[in-house]
Amino acid sequence: MVAEATAVLNQPTQQAHWDRLAAKARFRRSARLTFLYSFLIVTSLPIIVPYFWLVTLAFSARVSTVDTSVLWPSIFVLVPAVMLTLAWSMLARSRRQALIGAAIVWAVAVLILAVIVGPNLNLNNFRFLYNAAFGAENTNIVAAKDRPGFSTTAFPWVWTAFANSLIIAGGATVIVIVVASLAAYYISRFQYPFRQSSLAAMLVLHAFPITVLLIPIFLIIWKLGLLNTLFGVILVIVGIELPLAVFIMKGFFDAVPWEIEMSALSDGATRRQAFFKVVLPQVVNGMIAVSVFVFIRGWEEFVFVLVLSTKQAKWTMSLYTFYILEDSTMGVDYGLLSAVALFYIIPSFVLYAFAQKYLMQMTVGGVKG
Amino acid sequence: MATIEFRNVDKSFGPVQVIEDMNLAIGDGEFVALLGPSGCGKSTSLFMLAGIYLPSGGDILFDSSRVNEVEARDRNVGIVFQSYALYPHLSVRDNIRFPLRFKNVPADEADRRIREISDLVQISELLDRRPSQLSGGQQQRVALARALVKDPTLLLLDEPLSNLDATLRLTMRTEIKSLQERLEITTILVTHDQIEATTMADRIVCMRAGRIEQVGTPDDLYLRPASLFVAGFIGSPPINLFAGEAQNGALSVNGGSLPIAGANGSVTIGLRPEHLSFGGAGLSGRVAQLEPMGREVLYVVETEIGHVRVLQQGTAVEHPTGDAVRIDFRPTDSLVFDTTTERLIPDAEVKAAA
Repeated sequence: MVAEATAVLNQPTQQAHWDRLAAKARFRRSARLTFLYSFLIVTSLPIIVPYFWLVTLAFSARVSTVDTSVLWPSIFVLVPAVMLTLAWSMLARSRRQALIGAAIVWAVAVLILAVIVGPNLNLNNFRFLYNAAFGAENTNIVAAKDRPGFSTTAFPWVWTAFANSLIIAGGATVIVIVVASLAAYYISRFQYPFRQSSLAAMLVLHAFPITVLLIPIFLIIWKLGLLNTLFGVILVIVGIELPLAVFIMKGFFDAVPWEIEMSALSDGATRRQAFFKVVLPQVVNGMIAVSVFVFIRGWEEFVFVLVLSTKQAKWTMSLYTFYILEDSTMGVDYGLLSAVALFYIIPSFVLYAFAQKYLMQMTVGGVKG
Repeated sequence: MATIEFRNVDKSFGPVQVIEDMNLAIGDGEFVALLGPSGCGKSTSLFMLAGIYLPSGGDILFDSSRVNEVEARDRNVGIVFQSYALYPHLSVRDNIRFPLRFKNVPADEADRRIREISDLVQISELLDRRPSQLSGGQQQRVALARALVKDPTLLLLDEPLSNLDATLRLTMRTEIKSLQERLEITTILVTHDQIEATTMADRIVCMRAGRIEQVGTPDDLYLRPASLFVAGFIGSPPINLFAGEAQNGALSVNGGSLPIAGANGSVTIGLRPEHLSFGGAGLSGRVAQLEPMGREVLYVVETEIGHVRVLQQGTAVEHPTGDAVRIDFRPTDSLVFDTTTERLIPDAEVKAAA
C-alpha cells in the first residue's frame, strides 16, 4: 500500500524529469547537426570557390586581368539560392512540392544572374577551340627554348594536343588493362616460386617517387629511339601504373569462386574459354575501375610529356595548358587560361561521373594479399 | 550412363595425402553416397571423377576404360556444386545452354532440350531471370538442369542440399531421388549429412581420413557397422558407446558389469538409443535428463556403467526426471567392437542382465 502511494505521488515529478531529459536530447541533436553542417560548408568552400572562379573567368568578357566581376555577384545569388533550395526541401511535404519550390527559386536566381552578370559574359575566351589561326597568332617564348634558333614557338592547334592526350591516355589504358588482367589472374590462381615476394616487390615499386627515375627513363627512351613519340610516353605510364593495377585486379579475381571455373571446365570449356566466358565477366567492374584510373593518370600526365616530347606537334593538353600559363611576353591571359583549363578538365569530369559506381566498388572488391 | 571404378587411387597435395588406396566399384544407374566428416577426402574423390584433379596414383575407370588423363571437358560429367556455381552474368536460360555451346548442338535442338529439362525441374517460368534473382531452391534446380541438359554419363552432387532450409531440403531430397530413378543416371552424392545419404542413396560409402571405412546399404551401415567410426557417425541421436574389459563371459564397464558372449579382452559395446526399452530385469538407473522431441522422448539415464541415452516412441513423458528405471534390450541388437582395432566382432553380444 505504502509503495503504491509513493509511486502515485511521484508520477508528476517523474514525468517532468523525463521531459527534461528529452529536451536535452533534442537540443544536443540540433546543436550537433548545426555544428556539422557549418563545418562541412566552411571546409568545402575553399574547394568549390576556386573551381567556380575558374568557370566564371572562362566565360568573362574582360581579358588579361584576374577578374572577380562575375564571381562575387554570382556567389551572392547562388549561395542564397542553394540554401533556399535546401531549406525548402526540408520543409516540403512531398517530392512534387520540393521540385516546384526548387524550380521557382532557380528561375528567379537565373533571372537575377542574367540581369547583373549577363552583360559580362562572353564566349571569346574559347576562340582557341574553333579558330585554326589561333596557334600561329599566339606564340610562346618558353617553349622556344627547346628549339635552338627560334625565339618563339607557335601553339599547335588545340585539337592536336587533345588527340595526343587521348592517344596517350587511351593507349596506356588498353595496354595496362590487358596485361594486368592476365597477370592478376595468374597470380590469383596459380602457385609459383617467389609468389609472395614478387607481390611485395611489385608494391614497393609503386612506393618510389617516379621523378627520381626521370633521367634514367629519359636515357632509356632516348636509346630506344622513342624520344618525341607518343608511344614512349605510353610505355612509361604503363610501367608506372601496372603494379597497382595488377594488385587491384588480383583482388577482384580472388573474389571469383573456384567452383565457377570447375563448373565451366566440366561443362566442356577449355581453360582459356573458361577464363574469357566465365571468369572475366565477373571482374568487368574491376576492369572498368582500373581503366578509369589509368586513363585519368595518362590524361593528366605532365612531367614525362614535358621531358620526353619536345616537338610542338607532340604537345598534349597538359603541355598546352602549361605554355598558355607560361607565356611571359604580354602577361598571362587569365580568361584564355581558364577556358583552356576548363576544356582540359571536362573529359576527366565526365569519365568520373559515369564511372563513379565502379570506382566505389574498387574498395569493396578489396585488396588482399 | 556408365559404370565407375576407383582402382588403388591415391591423391596427395604436396606432402598431404588426402586419399589413400581407394577401391570402389559403382554400377550402372546406381545412386551412391560418399559420406564422411569434412576433410575426409570425399570432395577430392568427386573432383578426380570430374577430371579436375589428377590422381597421384592408381586408375579411374569409366565403363572399364582408364580415363585418368582425359580432360574434364571430354568426360561428359554433370556436377552440382554446394554453392551451385551458376554463372552470375548469364540468364538462367544461358546458364543451362552453356554446356551445349561447346557440343555444337544446333540452336533449335538446344532450345528444345532446355525447354524439356526446365520442365523436368520446374523452372520454366524462370528462364529469363538472372541467378541473383532466384531463391536458393530455385538456384539449386537451375544447377541441376545445367548438369542434366548435356545428358551426362555421370552425375556428381557435391553437398547439393546443405545451403537450403530444412523444409526445402526435404522436398529436394525426394525430387532428386525420383529424378535420378527416372533418368537412370549413375549418380554420386557427396555429403556429411547421414540422413541425406541414407534417404537418397542405394549404397553408402563411409569415409574417414582418406580411407573407405565401409561400403553398404543404409541398413548395413546402421545395423552392422563395420567399425566404431561408422557406428558413431551413423544414427541420431548418437549410439551409446562404452569401453570395458571382457573376461570369462563378464564385461566390466566403469565399475558395472554386463554378461557378454563371444568376446574377450578390451572391447567397446555399442547400444543404439532406439533399441533400448524400459522395464524387465535389465540395467537399473535413474533418469537424469529428458528431451521431448515431438514424436519421441530422449531420456538420459544414469546407470552403473555410465550415462545411457534411451529413445522412446510416443509423445508422453512416462518417466519424469529422478525416476528409477530399468533398461532392457535384445542381445542381438547390441554391437561389440574390438577397442584396439576398432573393428566389429561379428558374433559377440551383450545382455542387459544375467
